[in-house]
Amino acid sequence: MRSEPRPVIGKELLAKLPRTFLPVLNDYLRQWDLLFPAERRPIRATLDYLAQLAPAEFDALVAPIKRVESQMDLSGWRAGTEHLTIEATSVLARSPRYPEWRAEVARLFERINAVIGESPYARSGKLIVSLLPAGLPLATEPLWPRLARHGRWFELERPFGEDGLRLVRALAERKPLEGSDPVEHTWVIESEARFAGLADCPNLTVLSYEALAPARNQFRRRMNEIEKDLRSADETFDSLRNLKIEFLLSGPPEKDARLREFIRNLFLSGNGAVLFNNSFVQWGAHEALRRAQPQALVCAFGIRHKLKPFSSLVLFEDQNRANPVPDTPDPAGSLADIQVLCDYVYLGAQGLESYRDRTLYLFAAADSEMLLLIAPPAAGAKLPGRGVSRIKADDLIQIALPWLEAG
Amino acid sequence: MLRLGALAAADHVAALPRPEDKPPGKRKVVIVTLGGIRRQESFSLEGTANIPHLYRDLLPKALFYPYVMNEGVTAHVNTISSILTGAWQQLDDWGKQAPRQPTLFWYLQKHAGLSPIDTWVVTSNKAVTRNIGLGTNVILSKQLMVEAVERIILGQSRRRMLTRDNVYEEMKAIVLAEYERIGWAVPSMNPLVMDALLAGLTEFFTGPEGLTGGDELTFVMAREVMRRLAPACVVMNFSGVEVAHSGTYSLHLAGIRNEDELCYKLWQFLESDSNYKGRTTLVILPEFGRDPDGSTTNGFFNHRTDTKVCRLSWMMVLGEAVREPRVEERLVRQIDVVPTVGTLFGVDARQAEGRRLDEFAL
Repeated sequence: MRSEPRPVIGKELLAKLPRTFLPVLNDYLRQWDLLFPAERRPIRATLDYLAQLAPAEFDALVAPIKRVESQMDLSGWRAGTEHLTIEATSVLARSPRYPEWRAEVARLFERINAVIGESPYARSGKLIVSLLPAGLPLATEPLWPRLARHGRWFELERPFGEDGLRLVRALAERKPLEGSDPVEHTWVIESEARFAGLADCPNLTVLSYEALAPARNQFRRRMNEIEKDLRSADETFDSLRNLKIEFLLSGPPEKDARLREFIRNLFLSGNGAVLFNNSFVQWGAHEALRRAQPQALVCAFGIRHKLKPFSSLVLFEDQNRANPVPDTPDPAGSLADIQVLCDYVYLGAQGLESYRDRTLYLFAAADSEMLLLIAPPAAGAKLPGRGVSRIKADDLIQIALPWLEAG
Repeated sequence: MLRLGALAAADHVAALPRPEDKPPGKRKVVIVTLGGIRRQESFSLEGTANIPHLYRDLLPKALFYPYVMNEGVTAHVNTISSILTGAWQQLDDWGKQAPRQPTLFWYLQKHAGLSPIDTWVVTSNKAVTRNIGLGTNVILSKQLMVEAVERIILGQSRRRMLTRDNVYEEMKAIVLAEYERIGWAVPSMNPLVMDALLAGLTEFFTGPEGLTGGDELTFVMAREVMRRLAPACVVMNFSGVEVAHSGTYSLHLAGIRNEDELCYKLWQFLESDSNYKGRTTLVILPEFGRDPDGSTTNGFFNHRTDTKVCRLSWMMVLGEAVREPRVEERLVRQIDVVPTVGTLFGVDARQAEGRRLDEFAL
């Protein structure tokens, strides 16, 4: 982890920024050491850009947001100085002007991004693998009907599960892009600790739902104690923001503060990440792509258990506590969940400029010889010809590595 | 597809009761709000598989509005409060603030002369009931079960395991001794009312279907209240689809199918019970859709985007207020429900900001 000095913002600039930006900006700067390189680069570039603008240009840029702010009832807005609280967010979100505010914020950053441009890492080729577990009732379901429209099916010589580990190892051991941080290289986000054996690869980041159980359960328990009001939610979240979680982790996340905070934020941001294995994989992938922007990402889904009678009413409780019904896997339900979540991994990546039209997507199931490949137009020449429908795992590696190593 | 539905509806017109067949007695209205359901999982070519009863059995009898806009805050408390006041509300999400305008129940009690025993809310949403209006009976059915389950899990009960019998006994104990503590407001409580509530619990736990879900409990409790007390206005809320927040799409779809089934059972009950048959209007509407696939808010998980997928929903009207089955394709708003239902009871909901829906037989 490289250390990099945090940017210094002049008081003059701070005073001119829209009021609603300050908590988020303060949060970024306070946590500068916990941000990934891909997050720091645009923040620094944005602040540099804003600092060099002439006063009139600056005022014109932020005027639309300030105009909307002035029409929002923010009088009772007690936005914390260090981060945006749930209560403050709620005040913003229920303002009738909130949609307009969101639109103006998006427009502002579109303008800024168009000027500051992208880093070479952001422009590099990417790869995302979505892997389904063994034991799903594949024969009864057409896999990825929506995604198939964008890609090509290939037949492998044997089920993907037999070669999955080799592919992931090859990805993890490939040469990194010059000057990149190891955390930008390859991530695996998995349901079970299936790829934990690759932890010796220095450029591989592995987050496993199963391995994170101690931390996950701690967060789940604390969130379950939230009383039904905003103040209580903020108090609990503040307490979880300060919880020392290194004692609950093992491996690289225990030592790397950025990964620890990534896990913390993942659990605090909802979307089922503390409750269901496959939601953890999809939302974890979404957040990894948005924040760390790894060049290669493997999403390894799993089979979740069926919901139990009565316990399922209180999802944040331990589902086995006091319930005599044993855990039962739900392969059919898991498949239905994963199909949509694979769509979401793809859509999430395509929504990010660093991944849109720069990413090879592989969709495979451990039990199946069929593989769906979606490639951007620039990768066309590197793919097997139109007449080829059967490939080997080695062919996949030979397609993926040059695509990534070319930068 | 909707036009096909309208044609199918026309075939069923003859089956509707003619005005002269209408039995004498008080007019009744039942409003059912569902959690967030997108069009693509409901009234769309792919989605109708999830709502077989609403689509095949009820649409042909219905006045159906395919385009109903939620222009307010697309969160549960705000939306249900907006529907029940006829004005867009901007409240805190846990219901600590009262709506700016009175609810439908206030109008019915003040101006239509309905007594508290005539107005009931049976809901899964604890927060929405805090400021629902004095004098309305509020049962938090799902909250009752959550409370019982928590007490057993946390060792606060002498019952140690989550067996069917234990949960039943725990829930009965709460109803008998401390229902107000969990947020219920039953100003009409008397032995008859208590009997109805306990009968609902017994039906749920000892009935042949082996029910376990919160929405089923809401349905069974509401049905028992209607069967025994015949209130004039009942509002119910089903929320099982909100399991979507945890990212389990299959369970979200199962929630939609379950709500479809419960809406159908409710209609069958209203058509068979002598207090309701022929004099009841049933209004069914989702609170909103959910976020679009590919949105930064993670699609079906949430309902926060300012998009048509999230804001544009539908509404089905069945029963007395249906002049003839039809699909009304003009855009209407959720806040139009209260002025319209108010008119059914002869009440002018004057503080509501919505407009009366003249397609109703008023």
